Amino acid sequence: MAVALVASLSALSVVSGGEAFAAPSGKIPRLANGKPDFSGIWQTTSAADYDLEPHSARRDGTQPVPSGPGVVEGGEIPYLPNALEQKKKNFAERERADPRNKCYTLSVPRSVYYPEPFQIFQRARDLTIHHQFGHSVRTVHTNNTEHPADPNDWWLGDSRGKWEGDTLVVDVKHFNDQTWLDRAGNYHSDALHVVERWKYLDPNTVEYKATIEDKNVFSRPWDISVILHRHREKNFQLVENYCFTLDYDKYYPVPVEQ
Amino acid sequence: MNTIVNFRSLRIPALVAALFIAAPVVASAAEEPLPKFQREKTVFKVDEGKWKGPHLPDGQPDVQGAWSNTIGNHSDLTQSGSYTERNRREGEAPARQVVRAPSRISDPADGKVPFQPWAREKADEFAKHLLDPTKPEYIEPLARCAPAGPSKSFMWHGFDIRQYKDYVVFLFDSGTRVIHLDNKPHLHQKVKLWNGDSRGHWEGNTLVVDVANNNGKGRFGRSGEFFSENAKITERYVFDSDRQKFLYHATYDDPTVFTRPFTITIPIRRVENFAHDNWNNILFPAKHAGKEKILERYEQICTENNGGHGNGGVR
Repeated sequence: MAVALVASLSALSVVSGGEAFAAPSGKIPRLANGKPDFSGIWQTTSAADYDLEPHSARRDGTQPVPSGPGVVEGGEIPYLPNALEQKKKNFAERERADPRNKCYTLSVPRSVYYPEPFQIFQRARDLTIHHQFGHSVRTVHTNNTEHPADPNDWWLGDSRGKWEGDTLVVDVKHFNDQTWLDRAGNYHSDALHVVERWKYLDPNTVEYKATIEDKNVFSRPWDISVILHRHREKNFQLVENYCFTLDYDKYYPVPVEQ
Repeated sequence: MNTIVNFRSLRIPALVAALFIAAPVVASAAEEPLPKFQREKTVFKVDEGKWKGPHLPDGQPDVQGAWSNTIGNHSDLTQSGSYTERNRREGEAPARQVVRAPSRISDPADGKVPFQPWAREKADEFAKHLLDPTKPEYIEPLARCAPAGPSKSFMWHGFDIRQYKDYVVFLFDSGTRVIHLDNKPHLHQKVKLWNGDSRGHWEGNTLVVDVANNNGKGRFGRSGEFFSENAKITERYVFDSDRQKFLYHATYDDPTVFTRPFTITIPIRRVENFAHDNWNNILFPAKHAGKEKILERYEQICTENNGGHGNGGVR
């Protein structure tokens, strides 16, 4: 009852609030406190991880890469001149140098559009985002706490969320400079600052937007947008993928000698 | 680049870190310092029965928070309850009997793993080569950042329990475990996992978990004990209604390696009311405008920062 009331109130606010809080079609799941409940298993169908920018089909080594329209609003990433040179070097060495190949934690926002599922567990105080790839885990705090004092350099950064209507806005900073943004060598420094916007389009679809800012690498902030789909297959679950163990997997378990 | 250099981010092998690095105690000057989390020499009792503490809206006992084991560690699974101290030099004080925590094996009563003879030899061989790993299989998987597996994760750093409708989630130092409470079937037996595939349900104060799909690649400890991918593991987490402690029991049924089923028991206490020590309590105070004390867990990373076993001696 309370949930239904909140839902209809937020639908009302759409009428007056305009485009910023565009109404999702269908009744979206909500927590007991009325906030949207993003619990579930999600994945993008976009080709963002191949290359955030528009690109033609190509080969990465033996692997064919499909062409893609890109997910960067306006098309290209606004690199500073020196940073563009570094990006080109990364592209040339992408098969060897992409940290993904070591199964290292992917950072934000790449962990969100990487083509493996992730599960959100949500409470009023936080969201726990659990990724199948590398089994990385990130906590998004939604309890009015602030970023801890610098310096901290983390793989997934430090995530503090707040609600703007039904949109979860997450401020992420305190990154290291060890991760890439995609397989094409797009990259960032430890000055990376990401503002994410998570919003339901309907009960099984989330629009994910991120503004990416890094004064050492980009001339201005830029935006990406992808759609996340809810996994609804029967009995679907994440299956652990600690893929960094693959290199030494073969030495275990103890051989059975009987 | 601004980087906090602390030993957690460097991943100095844990044993070395625990022995030689005194962790800073985080407490504001105005506050009374919190007591240090104490290792214990005995196993407290918690009986299975009714849950008298608070429930979550979905009916689960609310046991969320940060926890840590109180006895032993991952170095030695079956250490005896007492031993005669050896003197370093002749002529010093006479040897004395030292009492310490008992073996983690609660059944059988002798505290020993009921290995088949070939398996005992394999465990001993591993222990002998732990610091001299002449073959890759002598390197402890956890030293390579592999997840510790169903039981060893509880003999390691402090961990978080978070609960949701249909799930109990454990955030360990190395890896995460999701316990499914919704009766979905296990994964196909061909799927083998470091932390297995867990199905659980609550019986009063006890979370009962059936762990299948184990890959049998982990070790119980640096003492070398192991199980195979054929193991059937049943865990019983018995929570005290005071929400300050619980007993972890895990029964291993694995005729490939053992002569009979055996049970591991690990006592675990809540750590929020103890001082941050970077081992049992790894929480930090959150920054916020209010007066309330909010503790939070920072990112735990392993393989990305791993320096190799023996502080870089073995890659």
